[in-house]
Amino acid sequence: MTMRIHVTVNGTEREVDVVESTTLLDFVRDDLHLTGTKECCDLGECGACTLLVEGRAVNSCLMLAAEVEGGEITTIEGLNENGKLSPLQDAFLAKGAVQCGFCIPGQVMAAHDLLQRNPHPTLDEVKEGLSGNLCRCGGYVQICEAVLAASEVS
Amino acid sequence: MLPDSPLFSYARPSTLEEALALLERYGEGANLLAGGTDLVVELRNRSRRPEIVIDLKRVAEIQPAITLTGRSLTITAATSMTDVQENEHVRAHFPALVDAAATVGSIQIRNRATLAGNICHASPAADTAPALLVYDATVNLTSARGTRTVKLEGFFVGPRHTALQMGEIVTSIELPLPRERRAAQFARITRRRGVDLATISLCCMVEAGGRTRFAYAAVGPRPFVVADESGVLADPSASDGAKDEALRGLIAHASPISDVRGSREYRAAMLLVMSRRALRACIEKLRAA
Amino acid sequence: MNPEPIGASERRFGGRGRVTGEQQFIADIRLESMLHVKLVHVDYGHARIVSIDTKKAAAVPGVVRVVTAEDLPQPMPRFGPVHDDKPILAVEETKYHGQPVAAVVAESKESAEAAVQLVRVEFEELSGVYTVESALAPDAPLVQEPELRPDDPLNHTNVLNEFRAGWGDVEAATADVVIDNVYTFPMITHFAIEPHAFIAAPDDGGVELWTATQNPFQMQRLIARVMGLPVAKVRVHSPDPGGAFGGKQHPKYEPLVAFLALMTGRPVRLLLTLEETFQEVRRTSCRIHARTGFKNDGTLAFQDIRGDFLMGAYADIAERVIAKGSYLACGPYRVPHARVVSRALLSHTTPSTAFRGFGTPQVSWAHESQMDDAARRLGIDRVEIRLRNLPRKGEEFLRGDVPADGDWAESVRNAARAIGWGSPLAAGRGRGLAVAIKAGPTTGASYAIVRLHSDGSATVLAGTSDMGQGARTVLAQVAARELGIPIESIRVVMGDTASVPFDLQTSASRSTVFMGQAIARACAHINAQLREMAAELYGAGPAGVTVERGVVQLTGRTETVGDMLRMRFKDVKGEVIGLGSMRSEYAPDHPLGGAPHFFEFSCTASEVEVDPETGEILLIRHVTVADVGRALNPQHVAMQDEGAAVMGLGHTLMENIILDGAGRISNLGALDYRIPTSKDLPLEMHSLVVENGDGPGPYGSKGAGEGGLMATAPAVASAVTEASGVVIRDLPLTPERVWRAIQERTR
Repeated sequence: MTMRIHVTVNGTEREVDVVESTTLLDFVRDDLHLTGTKECCDLGECGACTLLVEGRAVNSCLMLAAEVEGGEITTIEGLNENGKLSPLQDAFLAKGAVQCGFCIPGQVMAAHDLLQRNPHPTLDEVKEGLSGNLCRCGGYVQICEAVLAASEVS
Repeated sequence: MLPDSPLFSYARPSTLEEALALLERYGEGANLLAGGTDLVVELRNRSRRPEIVIDLKRVAEIQPAITLTGRSLTITAATSMTDVQENEHVRAHFPALVDAAATVGSIQIRNRATLAGNICHASPAADTAPALLVYDATVNLTSARGTRTVKLEGFFVGPRHTALQMGEIVTSIELPLPRERRAAQFARITRRRGVDLATISLCCMVEAGGRTRFAYAAVGPRPFVVADESGVLADPSASDGAKDEALRGLIAHASPISDVRGSREYRAAMLLVMSRRALRACIEKLRAA
Repeated sequence: MNPEPIGASERRFGGRGRVTGEQQFIADIRLESMLHVKLVHVDYGHARIVSIDTKKAAAVPGVVRVVTAEDLPQPMPRFGPVHDDKPILAVEETKYHGQPVAAVVAESKESAEAAVQLVRVEFEELSGVYTVESALAPDAPLVQEPELRPDDPLNHTNVLNEFRAGWGDVEAATADVVIDNVYTFPMITHFAIEPHAFIAAPDDGGVELWTATQNPFQMQRLIARVMGLPVAKVRVHSPDPGGAFGGKQHPKYEPLVAFLALMTGRPVRLLLTLEETFQEVRRTSCRIHARTGFKNDGTLAFQDIRGDFLMGAYADIAERVIAKGSYLACGPYRVPHARVVSRALLSHTTPSTAFRGFGTPQVSWAHESQMDDAARRLGIDRVEIRLRNLPRKGEEFLRGDVPADGDWAESVRNAARAIGWGSPLAAGRGRGLAVAIKAGPTTGASYAIVRLHSDGSATVLAGTSDMGQGARTVLAQVAARELGIPIESIRVVMGDTASVPFDLQTSASRSTVFMGQAIARACAHINAQLREMAAELYGAGPAGVTVERGVVQLTGRTETVGDMLRMRFKDVKGEVIGLGSMRSEYAPDHPLGGAPHFFEFSCTASEVEVDPETGEILLIRHVTVADVGRALNPQHVAMQDEGAAVMGLGHTLMENIILDGAGRISNLGALDYRIPTSKDLPLEMHSLVVENGDGPGPYGSKGAGEGGLMATAPAVASAVTEASGVVIRDLPLTPERVWRAIQERTR
């Protein structure tokens, strides 16, 4: 059995039939084919599946797709406008925050939420804001630098 | 089972009446979803296999709200941990709850997780429980049979087990406003500094009148609260030795176990160390105020 | 002339797709009519499979097949990078927690997941070998059947191999002080954020694979052998892995998905959960007994080291890890007499494999902690004792092998300076400093093709895997420098055995040196052809023509290569193709099969504060110094070193796979296996490099990127000792372990 949900995805209104028990993560990756959102721990511990629901960062593995009915979600694919990188995305590259890249969409979305709510965070606030996003390649230093650099641009 | 057949069905009631009717109909086959940060994991790993998941977030009566009503603060069941952390009334009157809420998972989790869900999940390690307990929280419950209020202390029955009866829904948590000057301190031990489950967590409250209470989590089957009947803990003339003895008396109510997060011995030792520190912090805060 | 690309912090090649979500990892690839695979496990370590009932599972709508060992070719094909010991699915018994006994193939992952729950596996619990002690017990159950190694005299024991190295005469050596201790290093999981994922599809009489491997060519050979196919009929796509760290070096479930694809005639996909990934790969754990003799002046008199390394149920590459680690178990020091005996022990646990540092973090934990013990005993400064024992550049330190290839004392002095060694310490604080050395690549071959197009842009074909370390960027920098073209006009193609030439593997920090040289030589090959082209075009003798960095010079004429190519290829078009390679042959007489091409030398210094009541460690400052020869891309070096440092802090402070009495992993998954988060960073972190241009790679570079974690544990532990007064010889230094040590001392 499926149910129809109405959701605005990266600015576009969508009507999609979804199996009721589908998680938001599976919905985004398997049904919408937006694979920038990544799957790792499936427990809400790693943050790789972070996207925005009503503008707030959430772990999409911890939500059912049905919960976003009538709402709005933004995935990593929705951040760059007309093919131009957002200042945050650009800062991640400029500061060398990106290695394998698997955690990066989640990191960028968490950082996006942080800067929306706190446009000029301190280093400690950045560390707190990103503490739900694991990275195994880097030492987090460059990721924090990137977020601070982006906060100076915006 | 067809690939497109769901593991469970999903309902999104918009009123309490609808939610209660669903709960009545499905009984034990129903699971309630508020923030979902615990439930969805259990649905995924199939440790829970409900017939229906009832999503409470659209229920009008419990929409996110934190309201000051005369002598208490009411936090509705759909209120997220982030909302609790950021609320000015909570910050003004229940700062230890803010500190405790800030340790529940990551920001992504706190944006979804609800305070009510945290207590309904009834994890022995629930981080908000010690703060809520020392603040004398009560839980408002509704069922088709009517409403009732239980003290949080009595709400926790055992690991993952609450006093919620069949057909009941938590609608809000209520915190009485302070009657006198007081200070509270939340403290915990974890394996790392970032997001972690507590090895132990506790909250201490000292009132200007001399009453001291401690609540503990992750050191027994359920979070619990104990009061210092002796009055020694808040007594400025009491020696450190006397205070330690009083603390040992309180900690004796804990029954920590050994698991991958820590051994029984370590937990027991940390109970004393962190209780001491929390007490000291409370007394200093009271003095400074 | 274009800006100098060498030494510039060029932006990551492939970076854009990684910040927009366009980068495709294995799990993001969709093939037409692809089937989904889920594995069936039993929740026990060592167990005898009594029966497997697949009827109910097979009846689940959408299920195509449920495959057990019986459905695969008989005898069951076995595979491994060194020993062909691992079956495709468990045969008769499971040898570690999580070894699959069956696989469900279904039209959707939901069907596969539902069916997995319905496979009934009856099993009998067997006693298992889960620790060094139990592996060595006289009555220990045998992990592997003796028939697997018929010619091996040790095949009736759990010792797969014994590695011996040394020189001089330890028995006869005399010392003023002998330090004798036992150290343990726990099981650590790689925890790449991308769980392992595999796709296979039938392809024109062969098979096509998609796997995030560091070693696509080994995979190709192995699949060809196991399936009885010509190498050319196996095509391995290896998109950039989402982190690897050695964990994605060798085959896991590729043979299984390849068989399933051929059995079903359709593409099949297997995505492991993070938990399954943890059950599949780990770092080799060990117990090291070190007896170290010192003279009163702190100089080493002898090293007598016995290592017992616990590998898993199958050999994977663990023997090599143990051999390479043990070969340098005495560290980077002058040791007059040395004896190292290391046993590689099989156990009923997750197969241990390559992991950043490749055995070095384990041995440095012992040899560096020994240095500290000696320094404390002899009243010598801990930095000074190291300086007294470090060889000078060019000095032999491994008897009969290549000499020290760097100014290692310079690294130590830089680290000491950066951490403020000798300056006053606040109460409750301590500092530590440690060094480590890893043998770089010994043998191997890398081939590269560089195609210089008619407009002066270039395509580089290289078999290296870019798993985050940034190989694609650095290799492009080499080509840009040698061809004298802007880095923006270079494309680097990797990850497809059907289109790029052979590379041994991406491991041992070898790519910059081996593939870098191969590319530099391919560019030289192009430049030689360009000289001939110029000579022919302008009627000059080749001797009078130079081509350097994109500029053609001959008597009376200077022009860019681009201009010349446009003229040369005006009508019939074309391109100039350069071939380059670097090979190093097997040397049977060398203990490692070949002398290391370079040493990766690293120094770590740390300042910590210890809470004496809780045992919690606060990292105040952390410094790493890497001797990289030359940093071709300083930003990439820094991100690698800092990443390694934080990974090292993980195994130092919090990481540890915990087994229960049945060999099950108790902390399976991200909830209870903790790695550092952004909030676990040291308050200050510095990564420094030493650049003396003395490496064998292009422009004097050496391999880099592993060093940052090789000496973390002994450096931090030494700081903890200074701060708290306790010496701890088991990792990780959890708050509880530190607290216990403090309690025991107080008692």
